[in-house]
Amino acid sequence: MDFTAGYSMFLSAEHELLRRTVRDFAEKEVAPHIRAWDRSGAEHGEGPETRSHLMPILKRMGELGLLGICLPQKYGGAGMDYLALAVVCEELERVDSSLRVVMSVHTGLSSLSIFQWGTEEQKQRYLVPQAKGELLAGYCLTEPNSGTDAVAMETTARRDGDDYILNGEKIWISLADIADTFLVIAKTDPEKGSRGISAFIVERSMAGFSSYPLHGKLGVRAGNTGGVVLQDVRVPAANRLGEEGEGFKIAMAALDNGRYTVAAGATGLIQASLDASLTYAQERHTFGVPIADHQLVKRMISHMVRKLDTSRLLVYRAGWMKNQGTRNTRETTLAKWHATVSSFESADDAIQIHGAYGYSDEYPVERYLRNARGAIIYEGTRELQELLQADFALGKRINPPLRRELPAYNASEWES
Amino acid sequence: MHIVVCMKQVPRDNSVKLNADLSINADGIEKIINLFDEYAVEEGIAWNEKHGGKLTILSLGSPEWTEQIRRALAMGATDSLLLSDPAFAGVDTLGAARAVAAAIRKLGDVDLVLTGRNSTDDESGAFAPALARNLGWPQITYVGKIQDVDPAAKKIIAERNLETVIETVASPLPAVVSVIKDINHPRYPSLLKIKRVAKINPPVWSATDLGISAADLAPAATLSTRAPAPPRPKGEMISGGDAAAKVSALVDKLLENQVI
Repeated sequence: MDFTAGYSMFLSAEHELLRRTVRDFAEKEVAPHIRAWDRSGAEHGEGPETRSHLMPILKRMGELGLLGICLPQKYGGAGMDYLALAVVCEELERVDSSLRVVMSVHTGLSSLSIFQWGTEEQKQRYLVPQAKGELLAGYCLTEPNSGTDAVAMETTARRDGDDYILNGEKIWISLADIADTFLVIAKTDPEKGSRGISAFIVERSMAGFSSYPLHGKLGVRAGNTGGVVLQDVRVPAANRLGEEGEGFKIAMAALDNGRYTVAAGATGLIQASLDASLTYAQERHTFGVPIADHQLVKRMISHMVRKLDTSRLLVYRAGWMKNQGTRNTRETTLAKWHATVSSFESADDAIQIHGAYGYSDEYPVERYLRNARGAIIYEGTRELQELLQADFALGKRINPPLRRELPAYNASEWES
Repeated sequence: MHIVVCMKQVPRDNSVKLNADLSINADGIEKIINLFDEYAVEEGIAWNEKHGGKLTILSLGSPEWTEQIRRALAMGATDSLLLSDPAFAGVDTLGAARAVAAAIRKLGDVDLVLTGRNSTDDESGAFAPALARNLGWPQITYVGKIQDVDPAAKKIIAERNLETVIETVASPLPAVVSVIKDINHPRYPSLLKIKRVAKINPPVWSATDLGISAADLAPAATLSTRAPAPPRPKGEMISGGDAAAKVSALVDKLLENQVI
């Protein structure tokens, strides 16, 4: 059955055409190779030397317009809305998380931040080529000694004439060895806490920039994750995104978009777990009947369906709010929390349904489980999302208006 | 130049389930563009890009086929036309060819008709020849490459991939051409075009519009019964000797049974 039917309150014919297109792309160009790519990351590391498969795929995604899916055409985008971004993430992660990760960091965290906060000059210089896929972008917030407590970051940006000098190390950076530009969050005034943080667009080509791959990750082994070292990197002041001291707000606003893509992707992973389970449960027989006839298998399937629909509804609500230009931190974090936790549970149940076969990479469900685990940590841990929801409910957290909100979707403006 | 691509919607193979009486269960079937027709669409777009003019996607089916038509429009087709009428329900290959031929005659200015070599549901492979016969035009089937389309000279040169040879055929236009998978790599729909075509509803022509009668559409054959495929005969294990001896015995058997 078609689990994506019945969402016409959110989606239109263009989203359906988009879904088919991205699904075709992922099934034709990624699915046949993904097990080999995932294995190669585990066996030989995720350095650029083993990631030769990534660039042609990312180039294709750029040509298709996926990397700038929800950006106005005048900035090189496809001119579709924020719900289209969710559809792309769902369909990519339905095949593998590694390509959805690209949408999260390149489009969600970097490009949408430049779109929201950037000057017209920054948009022309970085957003347009990023939207077209001519430049790939990453996002650098996490450090070896600071994760959830981002304000404890140690990377500094010292003003020097018309430039800033950046020093520090960032870690768990998706596309660390591949991206051309990075949105780097650094302290411009370490005494001022969250108000002493600024955001910068840093180019790989800038002197003092280096990156290294991480090894031995549990999941998303078809991608590239690494560290970024900034040693006296001279960044022009024109590359500062937003005002000085506004970086923490920019980083958090970026996460409203990044977490949205993670939530949408996790929904796709639930869909993949369910699809695989439905097929297997009807093919595999025990005690003379398909295992789909056993009540406890049915329960796992029904729970997957519940998690799929609730996740999808939460994601589309957040996307609908983004389209309206309404602040959606609460709704996006709820979607991210629910969908990522649900995706891990669903992948776990999918393995259980597949029995011992599910425990090997002969079937894709063990990869789903490994890939799902990371999203419960990155872009805001499960625990952080839980605390946020309680604080919103208790009235202990409010979102004051930002100097610049993510622009509401406007069909005619996006197509002009 | 006006190119028409005949495009059929078919079930995605792996989504098809059978009812107890062996008929196809229509619930939950995922519909896609017939595999070979997608190559015809790509070929049509490529020649339309070269020569300009119109590229019309022509489908016979229910209004729900609109989604596949939009997909072809998002790939680059310029026009679309849907032949839809309750009278077309259950039509066979010959009846479909009659209706499509009537539509092409009504369009009037068509130079070239492209279609897939067969559909992946009916698998008859007879549509293109039947259409050509109805129109009284030349047919070039199993085309793996179109070398040239010259609208001014009204001529097409195409390569037919036959079992053992490639046959190069020159034909006057208008003509009906059926294509195989080797001909090209179909493009994905353009996201920029998706936004534009998502609101398009193709014009719909009915049997009356085409001047087609019930007699024209009556199936030439009727289905009397469905029987399951006979069970596969039991296999034979070749045993005794080492691997080389077993292979040798296997090859002898295959030769004896004229399998190789």
